Amino acid sequence: MPAYHSSFLSDTDARVIGNFALFPLRTKTRGPAYVLPLLSPDDDEITLDPESESYDILDETLLLFRANTLFRNFEIKGPADRVLIYGILFISECLGKIKPTMTGREAEKALNNLALEHFALPGDPSFPLNALFAPARDRNEAETLRQYIGQMRQELAVRLLARIYFDSATVPSKWWLSFTKRKFMGKNL
Amino acid sequence: MSTSQTPAVVMDNGTGYSKLGFAGNDAPSFVFPTAIATKGPAGGGGSGSGRPAVAQKPSFLTGGAGPGGHLSGKRGTEDLDFFIGDEALNAAKGPGYGIDYPIRHGQIENWDHMERFWQSSIFKYLRVEPEDHYFLLTEPPLNPPESRESTAEIMFESFNCAGLYIAVQAVLALAASWTSSKVQDRSLTGTVIDSGDGVTHVIPVAEGYVIGSSIRSIPIAGRDITYFVQSLLRDRGEPDSSLKTAESIKEEFCYVCPDIVKEFSKYDREPDKFMKYMVDQGAGRKVSVDVGYERFLAPEIFFNPEIYSSDFLTPLPEVVDGVIQSSPIDVRKGLYKNIVLSGGSTLYKDFGRRLQRDIRNLVQERLEISERRAGVKSSGLEVSVITHKRQRYGPWFGGSLLGQTPEFRSYCHTKQEYDEIGPSIVRRFALLGGPGGTS
Repeated sequence: MPAYHSSFLSDTDARVIGNFALFPLRTKTRGPAYVLPLLSPDDDEITLDPESESYDILDETLLLFRANTLFRNFEIKGPADRVLIYGILFISECLGKIKPTMTGREAEKALNNLALEHFALPGDPSFPLNALFAPARDRNEAETLRQYIGQMRQELAVRLLARIYFDSATVPSKWWLSFTKRKFMGKNL
Repeated sequence: MSTSQTPAVVMDNGTGYSKLGFAGNDAPSFVFPTAIATKGPAGGGGSGSGRPAVAQKPSFLTGGAGPGGHLSGKRGTEDLDFFIGDEALNAAKGPGYGIDYPIRHGQIENWDHMERFWQSSIFKYLRVEPEDHYFLLTEPPLNPPESRESTAEIMFESFNCAGLYIAVQAVLALAASWTSSKVQDRSLTGTVIDSGDGVTHVIPVAEGYVIGSSIRSIPIAGRDITYFVQSLLRDRGEPDSSLKTAESIKEEFCYVCPDIVKEFSKYDREPDKFMKYMVDQGAGRKVSVDVGYERFLAPEIFFNPEIYSSDFLTPLPEVVDGVIQSSPIDVRKGLYKNIVLSGGSTLYKDFGRRLQRDIRNLVQERLEISERRAGVKSSGLEVSVITHKRQRYGPWFGGSLLGQTPEFRSYCHTKQEYDEIGPSIVRRFALLGGPGGTS
């Protein structure tokens, strides 16, 4: 049983830029993503049912992260898998920024900075996965992709923090931080 | 002679541990490392380490000269100054003794040490008179006949044992599975998965005979699981991540899960899945180590070697399927139907269940493809993995089971026959427990 694939592979309605799919997201940040309904207060984000209409690919990325990051080989089966790869590598990068001594507040600041930093897009020379990701066709598309990935990064950071500081607001979960050194596909962003 | 009442002695000497006891018992009387500590540095006394793996003759045959070297000059005193098993490990910690492991990769490499190991096993541990007992020894699959002959020479000429039978470990492991309620016919056809500390073997056996060309071994076994647990403890910065702690955690807490993603989520929902393990570091210091994901991730390396090793990537179920597919077509059905586990690293909870499911899926996939090609419905193929209570010391227990049968002695070669014909007599043994036997 190799690494897990995205269940969104069968969803082919989403817009694709390069070969990266722009799936709907459940987020409050502005951007090109189609916005899914927010969760009601009594819904628990961590145990959200995949059948729910609010379930997005970021939920899945966080679900698969701990398993997939143990693997070094991954066969890309479609645009959804590329979203998954980007998400997992971004989570790894986030974990690298959180020190075991950071409180939830400090970690939030660090991750916010990271999410808003300038980042490389597929096709840029500094993008590490150019062998697997195709560049956007023109400048317009590239701008849309940048905004979409920006939304992904901010939303992932928020949801990751909720998991890492679930038990305590002052001490990060060592169970999550233990995955810091693992490298999915042997790569980092 | 009094041999008619004495139980047979069953000795299973493995690379890591030796299991000694008497036929008819439920468990071996002694289990200790196959290690010997002798005076001088390790590898001394003309040991085989670093030399080509030629079967050395026991020193008594070379008249005390030969590779025995300096040691043989002082026979009589130096000779008796050695320890085996746990005592050997303790002695080697102090000054003056070096430790040696006479068995490597299942095969005896240093006959001088092995002879002394057996001597101590028989007289110091089991405390029996060899002339009063029949002996059942084990050998790995594909053991060269020369090795058997050397064993017989030692057993008959040095120890004067009354009778000897040498059985293949995998065949005995099959016999041990007869205690499971899932086994109806006591056949000696099946696939043995033998996982100890150093290596895991998959051995197909047809009617008591090992199909040598199809055996596969996997470089993932108990020790690797321990190392993996240790690396997970280190990644988390636990206060104690020694090998000993990792080993205890492995033995006490690990199990096999059906799906790792679901298992991670289960740990999010049920925090009581996380455990604590108290380590006594000595001098009254105790630290508590948290135990978490390694509980199911560690044995997972059998099913997803990729998460541990970068050079070996084939999952165990695929290896087993490959072994059976490379065996003769007329025995494949029997091999799928009777997959028997043996050895300490197969004891994880639900190990057999997961293995059975994964092999079944592989078989099912192939059947569907051939059904589509041929357009004919297949009658299906039964895949069954046998888990039983005697797995840990499977080969030893199988030996105990067969060694207590009334006809066991008639299968052995006796001292008298050996004296008449010579060592070549042990090249062949009649198949114990096979067709014709009453068991």
